[in-house]
Amino acid sequence: MSQILPILIATLIAGTPLVYAALGELVTERSGVLNMGVEGMMVVGAVIAFITMQTTGELWLAVMTAMLAAMVLALMFSVLVVSFRAHQVAVGLAMTIFGTSFGSFIGKSYVGMAIVMEPSTLSALASKIPLLGIVLGQLHPLVWLSWALFAGVWFFLYRTRSGLIVRAVGEAPSSAHAIGYPVVLIRYLCTLFGGAMAGVAGAYISIVYTSLWTEGLIAGRGWIAVALVVFATWRPGRCFLGAYLFGGATIAQLFAQSAGIGLPSELMSALPYLVTILVLVLISRNATLMRLNVPASLGQPFVAGG
Amino acid sequence: MKFQSRRDFLKTAAAGSLIAATGVRPLLAADEVLKVGVIHMGPISDTGWEYFQANAWRALESAFPGKVKVTALENIAQIQDCERLFRQLSAQGHKLIFGTTFSQYASLKKLAPTMPNSHFECCAGIAAGTNLGVFEAREYEGAYVTGIAAGRMTKSNVLGWVGAFPVPQVIYSINAFLLGARSVNPDVVVKVVWANAWVDPAKEKDAVAALVAQGADVLSGSPNTPVQGLAAEEKGVWSIGNTGDFSRYVKKKQLVSYELDWSSAHISAAKAVMEGNWKPESSWLGLGEGGYVKMTTSSPELPETVAKEMKVAEDAIVAGKLKVFAGEIKDQSGKVKVASGQELSENDIKGMTWLIDGVQGTLPQN
Repeated sequence: MSQILPILIATLIAGTPLVYAALGELVTERSGVLNMGVEGMMVVGAVIAFITMQTTGELWLAVMTAMLAAMVLALMFSVLVVSFRAHQVAVGLAMTIFGTSFGSFIGKSYVGMAIVMEPSTLSALASKIPLLGIVLGQLHPLVWLSWALFAGVWFFLYRTRSGLIVRAVGEAPSSAHAIGYPVVLIRYLCTLFGGAMAGVAGAYISIVYTSLWTEGLIAGRGWIAVALVVFATWRPGRCFLGAYLFGGATIAQLFAQSAGIGLPSELMSALPYLVTILVLVLISRNATLMRLNVPASLGQPFVAGG
Repeated sequence: MKFQSRRDFLKTAAAGSLIAATGVRPLLAADEVLKVGVIHMGPISDTGWEYFQANAWRALESAFPGKVKVTALENIAQIQDCERLFRQLSAQGHKLIFGTTFSQYASLKKLAPTMPNSHFECCAGIAAGTNLGVFEAREYEGAYVTGIAAGRMTKSNVLGWVGAFPVPQVIYSINAFLLGARSVNPDVVVKVVWANAWVDPAKEKDAVAALVAQGADVLSGSPNTPVQGLAAEEKGVWSIGNTGDFSRYVKKKQLVSYELDWSSAHISAAKAVMEGNWKPESSWLGLGEGGYVKMTTSSPELPETVAKEMKVAEDAIVAGKLKVFAGEIKDQSGKVKVASGQELSENDIKGMTWLIDGVQGTLPQN
């Protein structure tokens, strides 16, 4: 029983980068743009955040610069796919390759360095809250913020007029255009938002999660975020749960190994993927509903008046 | 880049067979500078595997000031690129060429016989081949000595190990770590968690958390970065700098460490090439003068008595009096693998695929 709390806390910590990256990607995809460059944007965010943290020691400045850096990549991506209508998958893959190599390049002299994180004063305050404090106090404020992000994305998409417009642009860009909505601008904004969140996810990994920069740090988490959005059938709630499900299964398999549960470790390493796919497929096993959920114009370039 | 015609190829092939037949090698002119080429598959950075490889050629340069010129290429991740660059280095007149990882071994085994103008050495290869020498560290000797510190300092009698992949080099280190710990504290167990990744710092950190939650209070593993030590420090438990000294990062809780020192491999190979008596040899060295494993920093909190015990064991290993894998050793199922009075052969150690009794964790089943 004493294992439950550490597992829960580790799960929340491990799931957080996926919450950021996947919710950002969800908004991007809801506007009809498929961004496969999340991994690359996370790498750039991670390295920029790390360098900023190394030189200034300012956590929030590091998060901001990571967001900006990833948004620069997202802007390049948008110019190519939204304005020039290049193939979204191809450009996205190129962004990942570019981001990964560019990240290694600028991070070269920082490899293996580590930053010493002072315990967050906010977390220390939170630990004083009765009951919840035991959990909250061990989590970085960036983890709490990811919950706010989830609430914000959900509220935005389903309870605001702007969210409705974003969804309309993803479903029927021509119609949205016909009634006067700026489809191109909306797609730009949504892609930039997705990029910014990928940047925060990267910053979280290099600063809060591991506190060091090294090549391979992101280790495919950007791809998992893209996959999560699909398996979650473009719904924020499922995306949010899916992120923790994946994080939880990863943590649980490590705990199971250390507890001496005798399954082959290779199989256990595959477990998070299997469990996440299985659960998300089960909850979305209604194929019609799933098809209805796909933003109808996802991946397709929009031509005004076309 | 030089264009290689078929005639050139035939010439090299003929020269190759000549060497194979007679053992005659091109000698260095008296005032010639020895050009040495090194291909790193990863970035050199400031800690970890490639860093120690780079330290070796740096040591080589300072051992022969003005006599040796090293061309080091780093971060050549693709093996195809390595092959092309090995050829290029040889064509440019590098007489001695080093590969830094096991991943380059198969390529070098294929390439070395075709380039008789150069001499090749590969770190962590299996066996020497035509025109190819190999050198590898007996890491288990370092692991055994650090195990003594772990066995003395643990309060829970649970040690933790974060493994990258279950390859023999990692397996024999885990086993030696436990044997070292048990030599001073028979009740110790080692819990193992496999990350199944060479580099995934986030997962390594989670693995540390899992081990600590299971009661481990001294951690070791196979890290290339300080993340495991930092994670352990955060949890307030000891960590061991395995294959690297991370005390620069892990300020308070790094108990002891050992690191890899390949300088003697580089220096002796270069010396042999200069003197014209280089032979493709296989060396497997551990602790001791000129060895590839070196005990380094220990925490000021490590009691004097324990440091002494470690030193005694180290000296005994160097003198050949203490054999790490001497019987009686049982495997996890309780089967006697090494009978009392016997010791494990070098080949059995090099190919070790079983965990000893007292290691808690699983291995891939064959």
